Amino acid sequence: MKFQIQPRSIAFRLIVAVLAIELLSSVLVVVLSYGYERHIHFHAFDVMLHGRADSILGAVQDANDPGDNVMLDQADLHVPPEDIYQVWDENGRLLGRSGNWKDAPDWKTDGGAPPSHPWGDYSVVSTNGHHYRMLRIQGSRTIDPGEKGGGKVRKVTVVYGSQTGHVWHIIHSAVEFYAGGSLALLLITGPLIAWLLHRGLLPLRQLAALASQVSVDSWQFAPPASARTTPELAPLTHAIESVLQRLERSFIQQKTFVSDAAHELKTAVAVQKSSLQLLNMKRRTPQEYQAGLERCLADSLRLESLVADMLTLARAETASSHPEKPPTADLNDCIYHVITQLETIAALRNVNIAFSDPIPDKAILNLAMPADDCRLLVSNLLLNALQHSPPGSTVEIRVTREPGLNPPLADLAIQDHGDGIPAEALPHVFDRFYRGDPSRTRNTGGTGLGLAICKAIVQQAQGGIQIASQPDPAQPAQGTTVTVRLPLAP
Amino acid sequence: MRVLIVEDEPRLAENLATALRDGPGFAVDWAEDGLAGDEFAANPCYDLIILDLMLPRLDGLGLLKRLRARRDATPVLILTAKDGADSIIQLLNAGADDYLAKPFDLGELIARAKALIRRGKGAAHPTLNTLGMEVNTLEQTVRRNGTFVDLSPTEYRILEYLIHRPRVIVSKRELLEHLYDYNWEHHSNVIEVHVSNLRKKLDAALPEADPIIETMRGRGYRLAPSFPANAEPDTEAPDDPPTESPR
Repeated sequence: MKFQIQPRSIAFRLIVAVLAIELLSSVLVVVLSYGYERHIHFHAFDVMLHGRADSILGAVQDANDPGDNVMLDQADLHVPPEDIYQVWDENGRLLGRSGNWKDAPDWKTDGGAPPSHPWGDYSVVSTNGHHYRMLRIQGSRTIDPGEKGGGKVRKVTVVYGSQTGHVWHIIHSAVEFYAGGSLALLLITGPLIAWLLHRGLLPLRQLAALASQVSVDSWQFAPPASARTTPELAPLTHAIESVLQRLERSFIQQKTFVSDAAHELKTAVAVQKSSLQLLNMKRRTPQEYQAGLERCLADSLRLESLVADMLTLARAETASSHPEKPPTADLNDCIYHVITQLETIAALRNVNIAFSDPIPDKAILNLAMPADDCRLLVSNLLLNALQHSPPGSTVEIRVTREPGLNPPLADLAIQDHGDGIPAEALPHVFDRFYRGDPSRTRNTGGTGLGLAICKAIVQQAQGGIQIASQPDPAQPAQGTTVTVRLPLAP
Repeated sequence: MRVLIVEDEPRLAENLATALRDGPGFAVDWAEDGLAGDEFAANPCYDLIILDLMLPRLDGLGLLKRLRARRDATPVLILTAKDGADSIIQLLNAGADDYLAKPFDLGELIARAKALIRRGKGAAHPTLNTLGMEVNTLEQTVRRNGTFVDLSPTEYRILEYLIHRPRVIVSKRELLEHLYDYNWEHHSNVIEVHVSNLRKKLDAALPEADPIIETMRGRGYRLAPSFPANAEPDTEAPDDPPTESPR
């Protein structure tokens, strides 16, 4: 078993991302609101606490006893009954406490140091199952201010506590409200985002639907104008369009080739068949039969070379990979090899071959291509030149090197001094089975594939091939020059 | 009958020409590309054009369209290597009369060529019955009133051409052009001898009748009704379907 993580759709990922961000901000809102609410409400609570503690302080009165003590007068004290308080004087004597003060700690002995906070010292005390927020303030009461010497000042410590339960309740309700609101928003925006994304991605789906309609029979791809103008879709639309154009072009090319090849093969078979049927039409003499058979043999040789050329072309056009080591071919070596092979034909046609080799160092002309391809290329070009050379003329082969370029290149030029090629035929001579100028193919016994093979080989080697011709009757010696530019092996 | 072959493969054209000359005895001309074919076909001497589709300079379809555009009604037989009904429909709609797919059978090609020529001259059956003569174009034999007339190949071809054009004056030049290929002028002196021999052989089969081939001095030859008795009803127009030959 092999497990694989299914890639999620872009819409799904976007929705998840947005919801996650929303969730995060909701949590942040809840935390912040909690802090804020707590601050606000406890601030108000503290003000209230202080006020009540002050009123307790106000209830401390002169006890009118000889010791000039103070006392807590609880009769006029109006504080909420659930609050607790305790009052001491400076000697630590308890002046009074609320009735519900039971288990609260003895505050006077806990806090030794006087409070530095102007509001006094706050702390939380839990007692009777209630939480109290406690405030300790110290105040002073002047006994007998009318007496001489300004009376006596008695310091009093008041500890006042009030239940915090309802404050917490308010804070919690507020936080709950914020949390609930955020959750509701999350629940509403989730489907909304999904719907909006679905709508927003509609042009993409339309584009996909249009692209899926393209087939071998209909290359029509008309994207809506919106697809071309939308910044996100424009590159995709453009890419699809150009891919389709290239595909269509190569498809048409392939189709043309198949159709041309079928025509050539069927014609070749038609020649053979008709030759044999012609021979069989009536009784012939042995000499006639022999001549007929020889013609048939010649026809089948032509068919053979046609098939061989087509296969060579197919091989040259398919990219062959040489992963282990890049192929190299010595150009000069190939040229000498081909000249040796074609010497007989050249002698038969009374044509000279002149090869000027200006570079004695062979090593620097190592081409980055297979040696077989190089020989086939040179052989096709030279044979072509020989076939179009008038007797007594010379075919020139020139090799030059362009070391300055990167990668370094070698130029191979093969020039004949024949009649040349008409200007209108020149752009088509590398086409397969091109027969615009019948003299270049049929009458010379060619298959119409020689130059197409050359072009395929050169393109495979990342080179370039050019043909120049001057069919000028005034200067018939100009002839045709084929120039091949090939990259040298590094 | 004279046939134009427009075919860029020389060996195929050669085989076709030999087969048409040796078999039905047609005169054959060969053009190796579309434009040359167009020039050749401008001469109205051809009874059939055999046209390859893929040709240099001007393709078969283009040549066919030019031909039909100038109201040339010469039958056209297309040789095609293309598959598919579309291409065939296009060809027939452009004015082609028939087609053969390569590689074809030579016997079938000859039979179709003959049928097209026959049809082009308005006859449906390979046996032509007219003016008391029965001409079997397959066997290339002639009977007059049931009597077998032994003709040389040239004499037979002259008769076959004339029989397709009864009661029409056929000039010597027209006769020459349809019986011989481009070098017909070399044969101009012997044509009179062939016509004279043909007339003698035909008349010998029915001695009491008028000469079947009239010589119109300075104008040409005419195949004329020789039976005064059935001059009116028996002179079939070439357009009429011929009666079934008794076999």
